[in-house]
Amino acid sequence: MFLAVIRPLDESGASPDAALVRLLLQNDVSAFETLYDKYSRIVYSLVLKIVQQSGPAEEVVQDVFLQLWRNSAQYDAARGPFVPWLMTLARNRALDTLRLKSERQRRLENQTDELYSVVVAPQYERELDEKRRAERVRSLVGELNPQQKRAIELAYFQGLSHTEISEELKEPLGTVKSWIRNGLIRLREGLRATT
Amino acid sequence: MYEAYALGALDAPERAALEAHLATGCATCAKAVAEARWLVSQLVYLAPEVSPSDMLKGRLLQTVRSEAKSSAGSAAAGVPYWLSAVIAALLLITVYSAWNAHQAKEELRASNERLTAHIQQERTVAQQKLAALEEQMAVMKRENAILIDPDSVKITLMPQKIEVPPLVAMCGPKGIVLTGQKVPMPAGDRVLQLWLIPKAPGAKPMPSMAVRPDENGWIRMVVTHAPASLGEIKALAITEEPASGSPQPTSAIRWVGAMS
Repeated sequence: MFLAVIRPLDESGASPDAALVRLLLQNDVSAFETLYDKYSRIVYSLVLKIVQQSGPAEEVVQDVFLQLWRNSAQYDAARGPFVPWLMTLARNRALDTLRLKSERQRRLENQTDELYSVVVAPQYERELDEKRRAERVRSLVGELNPQQKRAIELAYFQGLSHTEISEELKEPLGTVKSWIRNGLIRLREGLRATT
Repeated sequence: MYEAYALGALDAPERAALEAHLATGCATCAKAVAEARWLVSQLVYLAPEVSPSDMLKGRLLQTVRSEAKSSAGSAAAGVPYWLSAVIAALLLITVYSAWNAHQAKEELRASNERLTAHIQQERTVAQQKLAALEEQMAVMKRENAILIDPDSVKITLMPQKIEVPPLVAMCGPKGIVLTGQKVPMPAGDRVLQLWLIPKAPGAKPMPSMAVRPDENGWIRMVVTHAPASLGEIKALAITEEPASGSPQPTSAIRWVGAMS
């Protein structure tokens, strides 16, 4: 199980994670170590799932946390929770290692934009701890049609588009779009029902 | 579509269309996309849980600690490099200014000391001149007192050589004033010394002052310590003596005049 848990907001309204990230601006090594201990496992799991090799995966994780250390100002707590931001950063870095140089250049702008995008956690999810959420996500996605689950995983862990997934699975484009859309809606509804 | 967009699965044309719509400021769609991003982020839990090696943490912390230390050392706890350079420059200027001020202060002190010494020297010279003037005035006063004293008598000292002019003396209870012109210069550093010749038989001449004529041949002698009784003196005489004077005449009389 992942060790990370969701903690209540502090008196200023900022999450404990956001407070730790602010400390990074003051070169607080202990704050960095705390964040690493909380999230290195989940980040590494994501990256390893994408790049499939432990050596490159550790290099990506190292880059992710060094970017967090050196550019912590990139995270804006007003734009959303810390964990989705960190996962977006890690996913983009990992997918980048899979792509060809020309394609990497093509997608670079979009990846950068994503780091500054607004992420809103639904109200119903804010009281769910990390452990229960992980279990619930696995359970809900596990209930999907295997091809539907595969399509979502190809999109998330390999960064493929609808068309690319359609070619990969040799299924019609419309089917792939429906699988992904319906699968994510079922996930959302399932998480909502959990609370 | 929002979920597919957040997942990054939309093909380019669909993606561009949605982003064009979001660019119009549609709050509903923006909120839907923001929530979809969160939903997609939950897919991370589908990855099998694996821990990175402890070495990774060690490497990262080593790098982070090194950078934190370097940042604190070189940038003075967050002060940027250029500001450190400015501070260093200001410090250098301050030190130089302080050194410069110290040098200026030292020069000023030395100058003051030189000026004080010069003033002191000038004051000493002035005091000496003043003392000389005061002495000269005192002599003139005594000379004047002798000259205007009704008890003073005029005595003419006649030269032993015909070509030498006589000397004139005013003698009285307050002293003797002796003057002369075109007086021949004694040889070497010898001087002309005044003698008081007593009336008493066998008494030795009483030595008095000695002078040398000035460059114009003038002599002026004021004797303020005259004998208690001029009545016991029968004559004044001048001889040529060594530079320091003499307790008794060592040469022939050059001028002589009897008290009247």
